[in-house]
Amino acid sequence: MARISRQRPSRPKVAATVAVAIVAILLPFAMNAFQLTTAVFVVIAAIGALGLGVLTGYAGQISLGHAFFLAIGAYTAAVLGGNDHLSAAIWLPAAGLVAALCGALVGPAALRLRGLYLAIVTIGLVFIGQHVWFNVAAISGGPGGRSFPAVAFGSFDFSVGNQLTIGGLVIDHNGLYYYLALIILALAMLYVWNLSRSRPGRAMQAVREREIAASVMGVNLARTKVSAFAISSFLAGISGALYASFLSFVTPDQWSLLLSVQYVAAIIVGGIGTVWGPVLGSIVIFALPPVLQSLVPQTASGGVPIDDITSIVYGLLIIVFFVFEPGGVVGLARRLQRVWEGARARQEPMHKHDGEEPSQRQEQSMEERVPTWAK
Amino acid sequence: MGKVKLRAVAAGCAAGVMAVSVAACGTGAVGAGTGGSTSGGIKTGAGVDAKTKTISLGVLTPLSGPVAVIGKPLTAGQQTYFNSVNAAGGIDGWKVNLVQRDTKYDPQTEVQDFSQISSQVAFIGQSLGSPTTKAIQPAADQQKMVVGAAAQDSAFVTDPVMAVIGTPYAIDDANALDYIVRQTGHRNAKIGIIYQNDAYGQDGLRGYLAGLKSYHFNNVAEATYQAGDTDLTAQVQKMKSAGARYVFVVAVPSTAATIVGTGASEGYNPTWVFQGPAWSEYLMTSNGMTTGKPTPVAKALASNVWVLGYEAQWGNMRVPGMQQFLANTKKYAPTQIPDYYYMYGYAQAQMETALLRKAIESKDLTRQGILNAKLHLGQVNLGGLVPALDYTPSLGPASRTTEIGKVTVGAPTFLRSVSPFLEGTAARGLQFTTSG
Amino acid sequence: MSQFLQLLFQGFSLGCIYALVALGFTVIYRASKVINFAQGSLLLVGAYLVSVLATGLNLPFALAVVVAIALLAAGGVLFQTLVLRRVLGQPVFTLVMITIGLSIVIDSAVPAIFGPNARILGDPWGASAVHLGGVTLNWVRIWAIVCTVVILLGFFAFDRFSRYGLAMRATAVDEEAAMAVGVPVARVYAIAWAIAGGVAAVGGLFLAGFPSAPNPTLGDVALRAFPAIILGGLDSPLGAVVGGIAIGIVEVLTSGYAPGWLGTNFSDVAPYIVMILVLLIRPYGLFGARPVERV
Repeated sequence: MARISRQRPSRPKVAATVAVAIVAILLPFAMNAFQLTTAVFVVIAAIGALGLGVLTGYAGQISLGHAFFLAIGAYTAAVLGGNDHLSAAIWLPAAGLVAALCGALVGPAALRLRGLYLAIVTIGLVFIGQHVWFNVAAISGGPGGRSFPAVAFGSFDFSVGNQLTIGGLVIDHNGLYYYLALIILALAMLYVWNLSRSRPGRAMQAVREREIAASVMGVNLARTKVSAFAISSFLAGISGALYASFLSFVTPDQWSLLLSVQYVAAIIVGGIGTVWGPVLGSIVIFALPPVLQSLVPQTASGGVPIDDITSIVYGLLIIVFFVFEPGGVVGLARRLQRVWEGARARQEPMHKHDGEEPSQRQEQSMEERVPTWAK
Repeated sequence: MGKVKLRAVAAGCAAGVMAVSVAACGTGAVGAGTGGSTSGGIKTGAGVDAKTKTISLGVLTPLSGPVAVIGKPLTAGQQTYFNSVNAAGGIDGWKVNLVQRDTKYDPQTEVQDFSQISSQVAFIGQSLGSPTTKAIQPAADQQKMVVGAAAQDSAFVTDPVMAVIGTPYAIDDANALDYIVRQTGHRNAKIGIIYQNDAYGQDGLRGYLAGLKSYHFNNVAEATYQAGDTDLTAQVQKMKSAGARYVFVVAVPSTAATIVGTGASEGYNPTWVFQGPAWSEYLMTSNGMTTGKPTPVAKALASNVWVLGYEAQWGNMRVPGMQQFLANTKKYAPTQIPDYYYMYGYAQAQMETALLRKAIESKDLTRQGILNAKLHLGQVNLGGLVPALDYTPSLGPASRTTEIGKVTVGAPTFLRSVSPFLEGTAARGLQFTTSG
Repeated sequence: MSQFLQLLFQGFSLGCIYALVALGFTVIYRASKVINFAQGSLLLVGAYLVSVLATGLNLPFALAVVVAIALLAAGGVLFQTLVLRRVLGQPVFTLVMITIGLSIVIDSAVPAIFGPNARILGDPWGASAVHLGGVTLNWVRIWAIVCTVVILLGFFAFDRFSRYGLAMRATAVDEEAAMAVGVPVARVYAIAWAIAGGVAAVGGLFLAGFPSAPNPTLGDVALRAFPAIILGGLDSPLGAVVGGIAIGIVEVLTSGYAPGWLGTNFSDVAPYIVMILVLLIRPYGLFGARPVERV
């Protein structure tokens, strides 16, 4: 404990976190309905992406089965909340727990399979899951899909049209989901942040770096991998339950491999092995396409396939982004931070000893300009 | 460590609370009400601009992705009709403007699109697809917003806000069975079905089973496939070995062609009965018109395929609205090829124009006013392009008639009517419950 | 019996297409340890290229196929040299994301250019078939099998006997060591992408053959080849072929014979269940190399 407490976050980091929190809390008041709906989907997805971040980012286990765990959570919510009319205070945690249990059962497979073999076996999970959803109508409504319960605590529920009024402040359906998801996301981030600095979290990172070395050093591989799967699936379950509840109607074909790929994309875009990465990546992957689309006027689309073109632009952005910033959004942020710090370091002596050492300054800025892939 | 963490959180909370109270004094309130106002004796609501006398309608439809094949022509058909209405001075002086969003046939995108445009439109002039429309149904119900659902899912015909034209699949299937009885004279023909394993396929299956029950047919084989399956030999063989003489096909065009092609190359040629969306002109030729190069499956399709629909034959001048329809198409969509989704969109716009006319007559263009107009619209003739609709507060399907077209090489849209609009006894008796 | 043989034939010819897809995956994986998520999109481009060349430009069909293979192979090389080369040595994740980006671009560009409707492939076989005692053999499927066999033999000869084949295998075993002994690694990557593009053109062409047609969703089939590549072993071209054919047969036979209690469309998951069973016994697939572990 004593050793850990030395790694206190620096003051600017705390300040930045507080600033982000304030912005996140105020955001709904500056947004229109479309932006807020998109924000709800992003925050809900970020919870699931954070989970995948634990599994893939920290423990190094590549999973394309996230859609399966999202679905487990969603259908747990549907059965408990929709069929049995229980409170969200029960079905929301239950969604996480049931998914975590399934994750713990899948975890041992990771002891036998490595890397992309594990990735593709987890794809199998998605297909087997979908086969069950298509066939067990009592849970999923069958191929035609089913409706999902709105979040409800006691007599108050979050369904469309309901709103919460706190001293002249109105929070509508979208806002309620936003704040609920935001609170869960904040707690989850705090948990993952703590985890990453705790003993089990470092065990995960050791497994990611060199599995055999970790096990030689006394890391319990089985326990570490199973718990990574369980934590990841827990967050996926919560995220899936909230997603289905907010969307209100879901068909089994929505829990597809494509959904898993989006989550993997989110953590990669954000930056692997960080707390903020999955959240930032979720913003890019789940908000950029609708926002791009909303920027395009569609009233007179005529013969131009404008929507295909926005998708092309989105794909090109991904390619260009990764060519120039392989570290993801977090990598970009770090680089900007370096540039900023570098600029400050350069500015300070400039004020003190004006006009000194121009050659050194130049060298430094040259170095900053070299992209990481070329180093 | 714990302390830092707590302090950070506490600071965040304090700042948040402070900021929220600031926002409360200002403009920030989450969500927007849709206040009504009155203009020239007409009460107006969201999406109705009294100054410019413009009514905006939302269009939520796939304009990209695989279902754009349907979404694009359907929207073009609506646009053509509204263009003609606007050019003729509008509806009692009110012009209609379409606000389109691409849903990609994805429920989440549909919800986002809906939230983006719902405050700018009087109602949703088109929402294409069953799972997509179901995702916005709670919000539409709550806002009392009429939705022109372009989906023949039976679940929509019992929701007051859903304005559906045409005939549900279930009734189409029942009518086709009725026709088989009358054509063959006996009721022991062997019948099978191949359906896509989704909401659309389920609805077709439901209608098929209901129809079989009332006509006491032998259901000799049922087979299903998953969207994306490339080889349907097993499904076709199941029909073949069961000896099915009529096979209902509830599929998308590419799969429907695969089914018929597979059957033909194995020497199995029953009468294939296509559910409307299984058909596309592009299955026949390279450009969807008679001038194009025939596809490899064209011959098999032309041998024995019926297509269930409720729309008039393109170019059939005995249909009263056809001349105007063709003239408008020539004027506003000169490059449009004969396409039944286009015609559907055109007819849907006719329905919506009638709806707005009624609401304007009642001097109420608020959401509630438009919903009232829809519930009491009564019978509306759509120029014979689509069967006349009948909206009443007791709800139910807009029409119960079906037209059966046989795939024919020479016909303008490759379809020749083999039965006039027909309404069988089973179709007449089919009940729609509100359970959804 | 004839029903069984018919399904076996269908499964085998479908399996050949899967084998071509899987070979594309494997070649790239072997060179750069990346799963190319754009492989299905390359297939889509292949089908459209053949269609455009044969029906749009009216080239003779055989020539259209050769040109399409050449163009797609060149496209692969171009993508490797213009884009992937810049991220050489970056984490595998980065490369995977770039291939996902490429697949998004292609899957949207094809309908943007050619519209959402199906096209005509322009092949000489159409619906023609030979009938052998109750079993129908469509010519397009017979040719799919023949071409796959020829391509695979060609590939294995290249892999085994040519200098670059040796270089590819050396790079697969140890990239740094290969570089150290003077293997032009960048060129090896380029060749891998050329092969992936070329086989995708052939796979796409037969995928779009009768009774199907070139349409924008054609590329989705690549997902179905995933169990094939794992079944055989990610880094084994031979495994890709065996896995692909096995998966094709399993899929079609289960769609014919799966009992009802397994649920509808069991054939869609059967390949994955076979894959998982194989992996439980052999964690690196049937032919995959177990990497040497060092601490």
